[in-house]
Amino acid sequence: MSTSVPTMPETDVTVSTRRPRKPGESPFSAARVVAFIALVTMALLWLLPILWAVATAFKTETDAASGGLNPIGESGLTTQAFRTVLDEGNVYIRGLNSLWTSAVITIITVGISALAAYAFSRLAFTGQKVLFIAVIASIIVPPQALIIPLYYQMLTFNMVDTYWGLILPQVVMAPIVFILKKFFDAVPIELEDAARVDGASRLRVFWSIVLPLSRPILGAVSIFVFIQAWNNFLWPFLVINDTFLMTLPVGLQTVMSAYGIQYAQTMAQALLAALPLIVVFLLFQRQIVKGVATTGFGGQ
Amino acid sequence: MTDVAAERSAIGPRADVVPEAPGTGPTAKVARRRNQLIAWAFLAPFMAAFVLFVIWPLMHGVYLSMTDQSLTGAGGRFIGLQNYTEALSDPVVWSSIRNTVWFTVISTVPLILFALVMALLVNTGLPGQWLWRLAFFMPFLLASTVISQIWMWIFNPELGAANEILQRFGIEPIAWLQTEHIDIISITIATVWWTVGFNFLLYLAALQNIPDLQYEAAAVDGAGRWRQLFSITLPQLGPVTVVVVILQMLASLKLFDQAYQMMDGGSSDTSRPIVQYIFEAGFTGYRFGYASAISYIFFALIVIVGIFQMTVLSRRRENR
Amino acid sequence: MSPPLVNRRQFLGGSLAAAGALAFTGCAQTGPANATTVQFWHLLSGGDGITMEGLIDGINAQYSEFFVRPTVLAWGTPYYTKLSMAGAGGRAPELAMMHAARVPGYVPGGLLDPWDLEMLAERGVSEEMFTAPVWESSVVDNQLYSVALDAHPFIALYNRDICEAAGALDSDGHLQRPDSPDDFLEMCREIAAVTGGRALSYGFLGDGNQMWRLFYTLYCQHGVEMSFPQGGTAEFDREAFVSSLEFMHQIADGEIAARQGTIDYAIAEFAGQQTGIHFTGVWELPTMQEAGVPVDATMIPPIFGNEAVYADSHSFVLPHQSEPDDEARGHAYTFVAELLKNSLTWAGAGHIPAYRPVLEDPEYAELLPQANYADAADYLVYDPTAWFTGSGSNFIQDFGQIVGGAIVSGDGYDAAADAFQEHVDAILSRANPANPEEG
Repeated sequence: MSTSVPTMPETDVTVSTRRPRKPGESPFSAARVVAFIALVTMALLWLLPILWAVATAFKTETDAASGGLNPIGESGLTTQAFRTVLDEGNVYIRGLNSLWTSAVITIITVGISALAAYAFSRLAFTGQKVLFIAVIASIIVPPQALIIPLYYQMLTFNMVDTYWGLILPQVVMAPIVFILKKFFDAVPIELEDAARVDGASRLRVFWSIVLPLSRPILGAVSIFVFIQAWNNFLWPFLVINDTFLMTLPVGLQTVMSAYGIQYAQTMAQALLAALPLIVVFLLFQRQIVKGVATTGFGGQ
Repeated sequence: MTDVAAERSAIGPRADVVPEAPGTGPTAKVARRRNQLIAWAFLAPFMAAFVLFVIWPLMHGVYLSMTDQSLTGAGGRFIGLQNYTEALSDPVVWSSIRNTVWFTVISTVPLILFALVMALLVNTGLPGQWLWRLAFFMPFLLASTVISQIWMWIFNPELGAANEILQRFGIEPIAWLQTEHIDIISITIATVWWTVGFNFLLYLAALQNIPDLQYEAAAVDGAGRWRQLFSITLPQLGPVTVVVVILQMLASLKLFDQAYQMMDGGSSDTSRPIVQYIFEAGFTGYRFGYASAISYIFFALIVIVGIFQMTVLSRRRENR
Repeated sequence: MSPPLVNRRQFLGGSLAAAGALAFTGCAQTGPANATTVQFWHLLSGGDGITMEGLIDGINAQYSEFFVRPTVLAWGTPYYTKLSMAGAGGRAPELAMMHAARVPGYVPGGLLDPWDLEMLAERGVSEEMFTAPVWESSVVDNQLYSVALDAHPFIALYNRDICEAAGALDSDGHLQRPDSPDDFLEMCREIAAVTGGRALSYGFLGDGNQMWRLFYTLYCQHGVEMSFPQGGTAEFDREAFVSSLEFMHQIADGEIAARQGTIDYAIAEFAGQQTGIHFTGVWELPTMQEAGVPVDATMIPPIFGNEAVYADSHSFVLPHQSEPDDEARGHAYTFVAELLKNSLTWAGAGHIPAYRPVLEDPEYAELLPQANYADAADYLVYDPTAWFTGSGSNFIQDFGQIVGGAIVSGDGYDAAADAFQEHVDAILSRANPANPEEG
């Protein structure tokens, strides 16, 4: 729901290549040492909050609630907080909810966007220009401004507290249509023409020629849609009240423990909610970094 | 065969810019109609969702904003512009707009400066690239609720790490999220930590796009590192900075998640962003009509900022 | 501010450890295979939450045909917002807990379903089993919309040792009940002399609920009322309004009570035995007992001449379901009846039981110090009836913003009264947002 306008000029960068040291430059020049210290300091500063959360999650509640800056509590390391959170079981329910709704949102979003982008790129029909402009212009509409009428619509459709109410309003992502159209525009048309001459239908051409060619971009886009759906807060928070249907991030915010605030458990739960995305990032680091860098897609 | 040929002449490499070929004869007409149908079949699923979940709410919201519709389903009488006149004289609307704009100002600057410094440092090619990227970018991938929980814990007035650190330096503890005016700064700190990675990657990509040749040429001319930074690197970051500022401002104006979450469901007159007031008016206060009116004031704010950015942008282009 | 922080911390650690131990004993999330699940939302955490969890576990163990699955949401606005949204959506939980004073705001829009008196009676629950003020607070438009579990008044906890040393106890060993502001302040000064610090803990900073609780107690002790007629103007006694604020400023002078104490600070201060009296809700009683304070409790003395005790009730409501499952609803009735009958345990957490058979149970009379303030049941004052009042409401937050400055600075009482009048009048002139057409 919070995509941003892809405005980056098209560049062919691979962010992972680093600039080589200049010939004759010493690896330990004063400037490099200063830069290195600065970099390490900043990286530490950025990692500390997460490390602190990890440290807290591995404490006993008593140690966590006794304050101080010791990364390890008096009673030593313990996985008690994680075990309590997992035993309670809600994390599994919400994790499954997050997983399957995000997956469905990703499939639907990428599917309908690819079909539409293909039509905008390749097929001729009246009103094409106007429609495309309308879709792109809708990017300026902040989803937050639509929550009231959208919720009202869900009330009328009787879809509050249903999975469909959660999923459907999240599948419209105009930036994806834009990105895919730009990609299809660049695919050489001759490939398709050959198949068309052989009598293949449009859908067949799309399915067996265009889609396979688009695998990399579809993959990159899917990762982003998935991340966004997994992390989305505002809409799932509004449309779901039933704690059986909640996603992980929403449950983390909404549902409390009857035992009062349990700091170690809260951190353990937060880390469990973050874990899948950290794994996704480590697996797809290259695609994600490149995706952000080339399209500017995924801004909060 | 003729069908395909006719259709081919109708499309061309970029169908949307090539005018339809003037069809001749009944075959071409049929083909064109078929093509229309095919195109609409491809478009239908997306357009259906688009109309249902964007266009319709957008229009229906205008109507709602002129009614006394309630969350409970009651009400719904047409009351003209009453909600808008009330909103424009509602001090909370103004304070929440002020908070939103203030947040945008104080978050955008550090979000750009930190990102730039990070990118410059990483781009020096120091070893450990994946680690730097992980450290700076990973927070961006976390859900808002996750980062809110982490920072609420750090900002806990009695047990939090932030106050522990202050006390080590002999500074009085601060009620980070419970003190007016400081609350929005605490939210900003968390936000900068959370989202700077996105800008960092945009900058890093731009830096790596600057051809090495330029640096080599400058080095031959005897320009030192600092000279190179100011005469080659920074000027070339102009375009990406424009992009970053635009994206950042629009994102900051939509502040809701972390502000709502970190205030733990409460709200203060110095931290409540406009989106949160929409939520409070509509869901806590049941006033769907009134909340719709505030939504359109918010929408107007976004559009005004957008237009302002476009004008500045086009003026810059003309000046070149 | 630093010394009590340490106390608070140690004390937090202790109670958390206790809670942790408890957490492992119960709390299975699913019941027997063929049991109907009854979803129950409440907003209790900490001491109350643990007690409630225990009661639920007990009833779940007793019945095999249903299983109550509790969900705890954050107290106050987040809870009430979600509850209305669930009611509006029509797929609400079978049962929820609300503060009785909030119920009138939920009825007009159809967010709640009324209780069926016959079904309640079948399970041994009927009107004569509640005291009059409690029952009246549950009825809206001649329909029963809530069933009260308790009344939880705002009272005075006191430290027996400190108050005895200050000569503030009467011959029975109970806190004296001065009936004028001056006498009360005098008593506090003597207590302060014993503690060498402050006499009274009262946390209110930035907390409209805490300000309203004491304010409304004091206001009603003047023997006057406050009413908010829809479409009219707020009717209240200006003199009593001002003198109540004035008194609140007098105690928050830095010597009797902290000038800018937060609710947590006050709890830590009294738990650390640094003061003799604590103005607070009954729900803090177990906390203090656990912290080892020689604590006793009483109604706040009739400082302005009359007895009056601010209270609200934890009440059970049936959030609106568009397609209710009669079986699950029936189980919800049974569950509520069971809880009421077991509310002696609930009284252990400080609350006054609403269910008279328990209130009149000799066992309750022996429960100390709870029995020492059981009389409060006859002097309860609930918030003025209106759709916008009640615990955790915006109205009460706004009240805090309106009077907070005057209480701290001792200045601008009249301006605060004006602002209050204006604010309430503005709300009254608008339609009830839950049902704008009603008037």
